[in-house]
Amino acid sequence: MIDLTSLSKTYGEQTVLDIEQLHIPTGQTFGLVGNNGAGKTTLFSLMLDLIAPTTGTVTNNDIVVQKNEGWKAHTAAFLDENFLIGYLTPEEYFVFIGGLRGMKKEDVHTSLKQYIDFFHGEVLGQKKYIRDLSKGNQKKVGIVGSLLSNTPLVILDEPFANLDPTTQIRLKNLLKEEASATGKTFLISSHDLQHVTEVCDRIVVLHKGKVVRDEKTSTGTLQELEAFFREQL
Amino acid sequence: MLQHFLYLQWKSFTRGAGFATGLAQKILMGFAWIYFAAIFASLAFAAFWVVQDDLGKDPLPFVSGYLLYGFVFWIVARYFLQKMPIVHIQPLLILPVSKKRIVRFGLLKTTVSFFNLSNLFFFVPFGVILIQQEYNWPGVVGWWISIGSIILMTNFLNIMLNSVDRILVLFAVLLIGVYALQYFEIFDLTAWTAPIFMAAYHQPLFCIIPLVLLGLIYQWSVTHFKDKLMLDGGTIQPKAETHRAADLSWLDRFGRTAIFLRNDIRLIIRNKRARMSVWMGVGFLFYGLIFMSDIYSGSAMTVFAGIFVSGGFLFGFGQYVPSWDSSYYPLMMSQNIAYKEYLASKWWLVVVGTLIGMVLSSFYVFFGWEMYLAILAGGIYNLGINAYLVLLSGGYTRTPIDLTTNNKAFGDKRSFNIKTLLLSIPKLVVPMFVYYVGVLIQSKSFGLILVALVGVLGFAFRNLVFGWIEKIYQEEKHKTLEAYKQKNT
Repeated sequence: MIDLTSLSKTYGEQTVLDIEQLHIPTGQTFGLVGNNGAGKTTLFSLMLDLIAPTTGTVTNNDIVVQKNEGWKAHTAAFLDENFLIGYLTPEEYFVFIGGLRGMKKEDVHTSLKQYIDFFHGEVLGQKKYIRDLSKGNQKKVGIVGSLLSNTPLVILDEPFANLDPTTQIRLKNLLKEEASATGKTFLISSHDLQHVTEVCDRIVVLHKGKVVRDEKTSTGTLQELEAFFREQL
Repeated sequence: MLQHFLYLQWKSFTRGAGFATGLAQKILMGFAWIYFAAIFASLAFAAFWVVQDDLGKDPLPFVSGYLLYGFVFWIVARYFLQKMPIVHIQPLLILPVSKKRIVRFGLLKTTVSFFNLSNLFFFVPFGVILIQQEYNWPGVVGWWISIGSIILMTNFLNIMLNSVDRILVLFAVLLIGVYALQYFEIFDLTAWTAPIFMAAYHQPLFCIIPLVLLGLIYQWSVTHFKDKLMLDGGTIQPKAETHRAADLSWLDRFGRTAIFLRNDIRLIIRNKRARMSVWMGVGFLFYGLIFMSDIYSGSAMTVFAGIFVSGGFLFGFGQYVPSWDSSYYPLMMSQNIAYKEYLASKWWLVVVGTLIGMVLSSFYVFFGWEMYLAILAGGIYNLGINAYLVLLSGGYTRTPIDLTTNNKAFGDKRSFNIKTLLLSIPKLVVPMFVYYVGVLIQSKSFGLILVALVGVLGFAFRNLVFGWIEKIYQEEKHKTLEAYKQKNT
């Protein structure tokens, strides 16, 4: 699905990301962990062509992201609140996003039904603009916006942050379900080691812009990760 | 304490999005300042010598008479043009700084603006001429102090009124009404107000009255904002607007463009900042009235006016494409969007806005056909050429617009500023030139026909120009994304 080749990003003297080679196969739930400044958001922004790399390229389904915009058709993402349109109601936002991907209004509303539990009755039918929702509810809108149109690739930056405990559990189940049922490829970053090991098949640890660990998730992964981050103290 | 605030201010200025990239524009702004300074200074000379020698009147009472218009006009102009400086308040609130201090600094900052300083360029030379011409100098100083106080009063009033559209309309109507009364010689209000302004000249001590009033208004603004300096006070964070539902399903017939059109219409309906562009369109409908006088007949200024009458919305809204979408630009850039559809939506809005302007301005027919024909020609030029040009320059403007913080700290209203005015010049000079050439070759009507023809020609190149703009938007994408990240400048 995704291939990175000698991808790097340098601001002035400082190299914030430097990845020689990374392959993410289709259908994988890929977890990205790392401390602040490790380069997680930079990596996602590069994958979405939101920033230009200093060297190297990102290939998404054989399309070089830096050269051709064809990847947009099968990629959905939610990185931060800049992906929300504050003056729309959540429903209008979903119709907008869905519409761009060729969904009719009715399709959007049908598709929304499967997320009613996830919203916990706090998002839909509120007659409130997204900008007036709480941070947690805004996050829910963004996440559902990226899942709604069933694109084969979904990129989520810290989806668990700002969510209440119940919704965190719901999100975990939702992601696991979607991954197994539809075979979607998920790229998820998180600071919460437990969540990410529970959801993802594979964990990559970024440290100061470099890949320092890359392994399939197993029963011991959580403890190993905790040990790794304890060493950084 | 003041130096801390100034430090913050300086940092936000030098680290702002537009600083490094916009150096050329800054230089241009510098020239604009010099230009305006020269204009105002020469206006001061004219106000004295022309009035004295040509009209045979005493300049001081004459100018005093027209001050009333000046002030009311300033209030209206400020509302549209004055860029409210923002103090970034929220982080300061929990620090050991008194609220009064924060507010005072914010207010102080507003006094350093074009709208206050430009007055100096007029009143200082005018005052100097008066004293040189042996008007009694304490009188001139008193007159000068009272006018300065009134100018600052309008400054503070404007800040407080900033969020109330209705009051603006009231002032605009007042201005037009009073002028109409005087124009048709029914009632001359200036005959009543001139002596009031002259009082400070005859008795300099009277200048204490406006000074005291200024103090009161200043105190009023301080308390007004101090009480509102709460997270939910409407000064820092906007109050939640009530939900305005809009059934826009009739737009569906436009196909994929409808997806964007729906959004753009909601953008305008639901965001004060965007609504301003509509108000601008309405305001500029009356712009042509200034050029009704016979001296403009056949001059290129009629075309200049003609373009603005129908183009208020075009300039106010189009200039800021794609900045209107700045707060969610990363979303737009990662969606499956064809720039063409995105641009087409904005283009349609601007075109429809211009057409409505052309229809509404038909009342100019009452004042004679020449002006209305100029408006129609200018309108066609707007539709054919300027509708592209605004989108084009928008691609380079890169001023992030934060829709959600309309009322932030004294109201940040950058919906229309001097910078964009400068960018408009190429859009105006060309049609004026074309008209001028037409007049030279044949006649006024031929000039107008030429202007309209250029506009019609523009339509033919729609797809070509769209492709061109698209390319620029694509090339500028990363720079634009980068600039939009810095919202707080």
